[in-house]
Amino acid sequence: MNLTIPPLIALLFFPGGIFLLGSGLLYEYVDRKLVAQFQNRIGPRWFQPLADILKLLAKEEVTPEGVNPQLFVALPVVALAAALTAALYVPMFGFQATFTFRGDLVVTLYLLSMMTLCIGLAGANSIDRFSIIGATRTLTQLFSYEAPFLLALLGPAIVASTWQIGDINQYAMTHTWLIVTQPIGFIVAVIGLMGKLELPPFDAPEAETEIVSGALTEYSGRGLALFRIGKDVELVIGLTLVVAFYLGGLGNPWVFLLKTLVLLLITAGLQSLFARLRIDQTVGMWWRIGALVALVQLLAVIIGLFIGRIF
Amino acid sequence: MEAKVVPQKFIVPIGPQHPALKEPGHFEFTVEGEVITGATVRLGYVHRGIEKSTEDRNWVQNLYLLERICGICSHIHATAYVLGVEALAEVTAPPRAQAIRTLVCELERIHSHMLWLGVAAHEGGFDTLFMYSWRDRETVMDLLEGLSGNRVNYSVNVLGGVKIDVDEKQAASIRKGIDFLKERTTYYMKVVTTDETFLGRTRDVGTMSYDQADALAAVGPTARASGIPRDVRSDAPYAAYPQFPINVITAKGGDLAARFVVRINELFESYRLIHEILDKLPVGELTTRVPRRIPENEVISRVEAPRGELFYYLKSNGSEKPERIKVRTPSICNWATVMNFAVGLKLADMPMILAGIDPCFSCSDRTVVINRTNQSQVWSWEDLRQYGIKYYR
Repeated sequence: MNLTIPPLIALLFFPGGIFLLGSGLLYEYVDRKLVAQFQNRIGPRWFQPLADILKLLAKEEVTPEGVNPQLFVALPVVALAAALTAALYVPMFGFQATFTFRGDLVVTLYLLSMMTLCIGLAGANSIDRFSIIGATRTLTQLFSYEAPFLLALLGPAIVASTWQIGDINQYAMTHTWLIVTQPIGFIVAVIGLMGKLELPPFDAPEAETEIVSGALTEYSGRGLALFRIGKDVELVIGLTLVVAFYLGGLGNPWVFLLKTLVLLLITAGLQSLFARLRIDQTVGMWWRIGALVALVQLLAVIIGLFIGRIF
Repeated sequence: MEAKVVPQKFIVPIGPQHPALKEPGHFEFTVEGEVITGATVRLGYVHRGIEKSTEDRNWVQNLYLLERICGICSHIHATAYVLGVEALAEVTAPPRAQAIRTLVCELERIHSHMLWLGVAAHEGGFDTLFMYSWRDRETVMDLLEGLSGNRVNYSVNVLGGVKIDVDEKQAASIRKGIDFLKERTTYYMKVVTTDETFLGRTRDVGTMSYDQADALAAVGPTARASGIPRDVRSDAPYAAYPQFPINVITAKGGDLAARFVVRINELFESYRLIHEILDKLPVGELTTRVPRRIPENEVISRVEAPRGELFYYLKSNGSEKPERIKVRTPSICNWATVMNFAVGLKLADMPMILAGIDPCFSCSDRTVVINRTNQSQVWSWEDLRQYGIKYYR
C-alpha cells in the first residue's frame, strides 16, 4: 500500500504535522500506561499526555535570569522542527516516505540527534546548577550511545546495499526478518533508542532525585511543552526505524501499529526492570560492550556479504 | 545568613525543597565534574520545640505529644517515654502489656523498614521496587490499623500498660499477613542481592569499616551493616525482650548493599519474633496504676527504634509535669557517617547514601548549639530568645 500524498498535506496533516503529534501523544500514553502496569500502578487516562501539553501551553513561560533569551525561545522550536522533519524521510504509519533521496538515512539520524543537542544547549544556556550538570550528562550520554546506535542501523543498510530508508524497508519486507540474521544489532538498536529518549535506566541526565529535571529544569510553559512533544515524536520515529529495519518492514498501517506497539511493550518492560545507571556506568557500558558488539555484528555482516559474493 | 561567593567552586544545593527529599533539610555538595569534594548539612527547618512544650503538659498529655515526634516510628517514642515514666514512678507494666508493646514495636519496625526499602530504591531510580515494596507495606499498615484503629500514630501505650488487647481473631490475621510478607521479603532479598544494575549502584558505595562506624558512633542498622553488633534490644533488653530474645543481625560489607541486607534480614527476625510473641502471649491484666504525681528523680530510657538507638532523659520534680525531657534520636547520630563519606563519591550516589541511614529530619531537629569555636558555650533562656528575635528579624 504505497500511496503518494500531496506534499502540503503531507507536511501539515498526514503523515507529518498534526497526525504525527497526535500519534506521539498516543504512544507516550501507551508507554506510560504500560510502565505503570508493570509497576503495579493504575497509570494515566488516555488523554493525560494531551492534557499535560495543553496545560503547559497555557501556562506562563518564565525566562530565567542569565540566559540568552533568543536562544532560550528558539531551542525548543528547533528541537521540535528537527524531529518533525526527520519524520518526512521515514515510512511513517506504513506509508511511503514523503521525501526520499540517496542517503536520507544519515540525514534522519542527524536530525534525530538535533533534539538531544538542543536539550544539551538549553541546559548549558542556563546558569542554573542542575541545568548545567544535566546538560553535561545529556551530551556525555549522546556521545556514548550515538556511535553504537548508528552502527546498529548500518547493518541492515549494508545488507540492503542502500542508504535510503524506503529501500531498506522494501528489502526488509521481502527478505527474512533481520532480527533473525542480526540479533545483536537489534538489541543494540533498541537499547540505543532508549538511551536516545533518556528512558529509564538511561535517565541519568534527568535524574529527579539528584538534579531535579536536568537540562530542562528552568523550562516552563511553552518551551517545556515543545520539548516534550518533540520527544514523543522522536519516540514514534525511533520505533518506526527499528521496526522497519529489523522487524520485517512496514507494509501498511495495521502492520505498523502492531509491530511498533510490540516494540513499545519490550521497551516498557526494560524500563521497569532496572535501576538507574550512573552516567559513568552508562558511558562504560556503551563503549565497553555496546560499541564493541555492534562492531562485531557489522564485521560479521560485511564478511558474510563478501563470502556470499564469492560463492 | 549572608551568601558567600567562592569562585571556582561548583556547589550543588540539595534542599530544603528538592525532589529527592521528602522532608526539608539543606545539603551543599561541592563537585568537580561528577565527583564530590565537599559536603555540608544544615538541619533545623522543622524544629517544633517539642522538648520545651513537654514542660507545660502533665505526664499523661506528654505521651500524645511525644508520639508525634516522628511520623514513622511513633510507637517507639511513646514506648521509650512510658518505660522511663514507669521507672520514675517505680511501677512495672503487666507482662501481657509488655508483650503487646513489643509486638507493636516489631510491626512498626516492619513498616519502617519496608518504607525505607522503597525510598532507597526510588533514590536509586528503581521505581518498580519502590512501587512493589510500598504496595506490600500496606499489609502491615492494615494489620496495625486492625489492631489499634490507626495507621500511623497508633496510641497503643498508656502510662502503666497498653490500651489495646490482641484477641485470637486479630492474632490469626496478623499471622496470615506476616506469612504473606515473609514470602514477599524473600523475593526482595533476591532482587537486592542478585540484580546486577541494582548492585552496581549499591556494592562498594559508601563503604564504612567497623572502626570508622565505631569512631563515628553510628547506631542501628547503619552500624550493624558495618559489623558492629549494637542493638539495645539485646544489649539492654526492655519491655518483653528479656522473655523474647532477638538475634542481632549484622553484615560485614559496610556498604549500601550491606545496609539493604541487614534491614531485610531484620525483617525476617521481626517476623519470627511476632510469631513467637503471638504463640506465647502472657495472660493477665493490661494496665497497672501509675500515680499522677511522679516522685522527684531522673532516669534514662533507651530503646531500639527502627533506625537505631533512641535515648530519652526524663527528670521529674515531684509535680504533675516533668522538669526536663531530652530526646536523642538515632537519625542525629548517623548524620556524621553521611557527611564523612560523601567526599570522593559520585553525585549520583548521594541520594542513596542520604537515604542509606534512613534519615528522619523531623527527628533530627532538636535544639543543638554547634560549637564552632573551641570555647564551650552555655546559652541561657534569655540568650536563646534574643538569638531567635535576631534570627527572624
